[in-house]
Amino acid sequence: MVVSNRLGKAPTVEKPASAEELARRLHDAASSRLAVVPVGGGRASGMGDVLQRCDVLLHTTRLDRVIEHVASDMVVSVEAGITLEALQGQLAKAGQFLPLDPFNSPGHTIGGLLATGWTGPLRLRYGSPRDFLIGVRVALPDGSLATGGGRVVKNVSGYDMMKLHYGALGSLGVIVAASFKVFPKPLHDVTVSSRGGWADAERALSTPIAPSALELLSDGRVLARYSGSPDAVNRVVKELGWEQAEEGVWVEHAGRSAERWARIAVPKGRLRDAVADLQEWWASPGAGIAHWSIDLDATSVRATRAKVESLGGSLIMLAAPDDFMRETGAWGAPPSTLEIQRRLKNAFDPDHVLNPGRFVV
Amino acid sequence: MALPKGVAEELRRIVGRESVVDAPNDLRIFERDGSIEGAVPDAVVLASTTKEVSEVIKVAAKHRIPVVPRGAGTGLSGGAVTIRGGIALQVTRMRRILEIDPIAQTALVEPGVVNQELSLVAGQQGLFYAPDPSSQKACTIGGNAAENSGGPHCLYYGVTTNHVLGMEVVLADGSVQWVSGDTPDRVGLDLCGVLVGSEGTLCAITKIKVRLLRVPPSVATLLAAFPSIEAASQAVSAVIAHGIVPAALEMMDKVTVGAVEAHYHAGYPTDAGAVLLVEVDGIAESTRELMAAITDILANNQGYAMREAQTPAERDLLWAGRKGAIGALGRIKPNYYLHDGVVPRSRLPQVLSAVGEIGEHYKLPVANVFHAGDGNLHPNILFDLRDRQVLHQVEGAGEEMLRAVVELGGALSGEHGIGLEKSAFMPWIYSEDDLHAMHRVKDVLDADGILNPGKIFPDPSRKPIQLAGRTGLAVEAKWW
Repeated sequence: MVVSNRLGKAPTVEKPASAEELARRLHDAASSRLAVVPVGGGRASGMGDVLQRCDVLLHTTRLDRVIEHVASDMVVSVEAGITLEALQGQLAKAGQFLPLDPFNSPGHTIGGLLATGWTGPLRLRYGSPRDFLIGVRVALPDGSLATGGGRVVKNVSGYDMMKLHYGALGSLGVIVAASFKVFPKPLHDVTVSSRGGWADAERALSTPIAPSALELLSDGRVLARYSGSPDAVNRVVKELGWEQAEEGVWVEHAGRSAERWARIAVPKGRLRDAVADLQEWWASPGAGIAHWSIDLDATSVRATRAKVESLGGSLIMLAAPDDFMRETGAWGAPPSTLEIQRRLKNAFDPDHVLNPGRFVV
Repeated sequence: MALPKGVAEELRRIVGRESVVDAPNDLRIFERDGSIEGAVPDAVVLASTTKEVSEVIKVAAKHRIPVVPRGAGTGLSGGAVTIRGGIALQVTRMRRILEIDPIAQTALVEPGVVNQELSLVAGQQGLFYAPDPSSQKACTIGGNAAENSGGPHCLYYGVTTNHVLGMEVVLADGSVQWVSGDTPDRVGLDLCGVLVGSEGTLCAITKIKVRLLRVPPSVATLLAAFPSIEAASQAVSAVIAHGIVPAALEMMDKVTVGAVEAHYHAGYPTDAGAVLLVEVDGIAESTRELMAAITDILANNQGYAMREAQTPAERDLLWAGRKGAIGALGRIKPNYYLHDGVVPRSRLPQVLSAVGEIGEHYKLPVANVFHAGDGNLHPNILFDLRDRQVLHQVEGAGEEMLRAVVELGGALSGEHGIGLEKSAFMPWIYSEDDLHAMHRVKDVLDADGILNPGKIFPDPSRKPIQLAGRTGLAVEAKWW
């Protein structure tokens, strides 16, 4: 991320202690047309195009409270700056968890994860936060705090504002709080591994109960996680006949990242084709997603992206040095709805003070 | 109101003479959906293609005439009611299943495809479409996507928005757009996610790509009786606290059980204060094990007369009772007003006792049948419309019940939508800033407000709703 503005002046660092204060700081900056970059744990700060300007770094890290966790409702509301690990620790006391295990962990904040849309292996079974985010509160450049959704697990009261802000990379507003549907820890949870590459990955994906996570690495390693009723899990694991994975394998896996890396997403049947020529990657074949540790030049990245796009997918850069990022571009082909997206951007951030130049719109 | 001169002819040129209805008597058929309030459209257009939908909306945009997309008309919040007149844009002729891809496990359908039909056809390839509203024999996938519909099995599987991968939509200027598709993590804003559940106020839906799931090889369904709603609610919480999320967890109160049993003879225990219907699915090992655990938990929480369906026919009968419960209530009174609210699950006993009190206060029988696992309640206020005075009472009772839902930290609708029915109550749960943010989305996509006007947002010209709460709790100012 750029840490100085165009004039070479270091950006101001703001660390508001409340949502209201954050909204005021955002409004103050927006009124002066200063460029604001929201910052959470900084784990995904390399995502997106190189910033055009950066005048204020607006940190959410002091907004780190669990606002409410009602275990019997299986609902939790948190401030955006809480780290995923802190939240999981709180939920674990009640035998619950948020099924989110993003790469480049630990240290992600909830707000950062929602803004970037980063996910991990458990997406196969639980989906992404898009599926279990039930409420969101967002500070807008006009200084208002706007809430969507609520604290109930099923809700069609008004527009789904959670979808608008999820994955929008803070381009419409700064997420200050969120509510989630959480899940009970599974009764039984077993991970097995093999070195059988694509064939074994496909085998594990077609077992009578689907794995909760299934990861394939470019060296041919396969990790399959099964959870649920002990009898069912044990039967499937026995039928697969793979070896038990080491303790801590998922923590190690979630720690993966690279100095230059990208996320490839394609219709799931085409993933094998998409990564066929790449050296080092890890993938969720059941979801159609791969992460690629880039060892090629920018021209080759663009060629890979062209291929992925021809397969109906996308290649998004997650981090790279600025010059490299300028050559590849972060996002690739713009969506066909770009014009509408621009109008939405203008409606929420008319002066383009939020993350200028970084997101698609 | 009537259409401006010449518009009917313009519409006929698009869809053909026979496909525009504008004779006053014929229009009355389209006056209502499944809710209380109705309004006769100025014209009904029966569209057969995306191009026709697009051309019709272009005509409407040119003349600034309201357009209300309409599927089967089974909606329960007035979403398909042309409250400001204009054109009802009927899409039920667009009813082809265009593609079922068994490898990708997806289906591409037109909006008029009936929900249950999709699962029946996909079933030939071992697949099904998970969201299952009780009206699934009639309601359409397009309507489901517009309303973000739920259903009993959404406890485990999620609601419509979790299953829509992409849509072809016609926007307020008549332009046709694809939003999202079958690739995860697409570039840019998630317009598809915003349009699902927008109740026809942002677009008309002309194609939907949905996710299909493998039909589970084994299903187990259990009926259990409880002495009271409180005991049954406690049992629901205990099952989930144990780490089990069943595929469905449905509750019916004594009033409902009596009506259902008289109608279906499904073996529901009529002496019970409440009945739970619990379903788990998976492979035989898991359903057997989970059902054994659930049976234990229910027994420890005052469950009795537990009966597991032994055959598919028995299971169908148990579900027929649940899904047909609303119809069976006709034995008690000829009319009903089915409400929809959702509370944090632990607040169910409180909200149901408030609902009971409100029914007594208004001297109206109330039957409860609902998705207990989600905290999604459906009080049915029963009445006889031949009593001309009663409707006012029914509406008053309904408003009070919703007020109780909100005071207990709940939301106005879990799956029926806001529509016409609840738009006036939106300020109960959202601040002006919240509603303003939603309105920015509306203004971007439909600046002239021609798409389903008068829905979702409070109408300043209608009476403001001010109601004293009954639960004794103040509305929780902190929505967080």
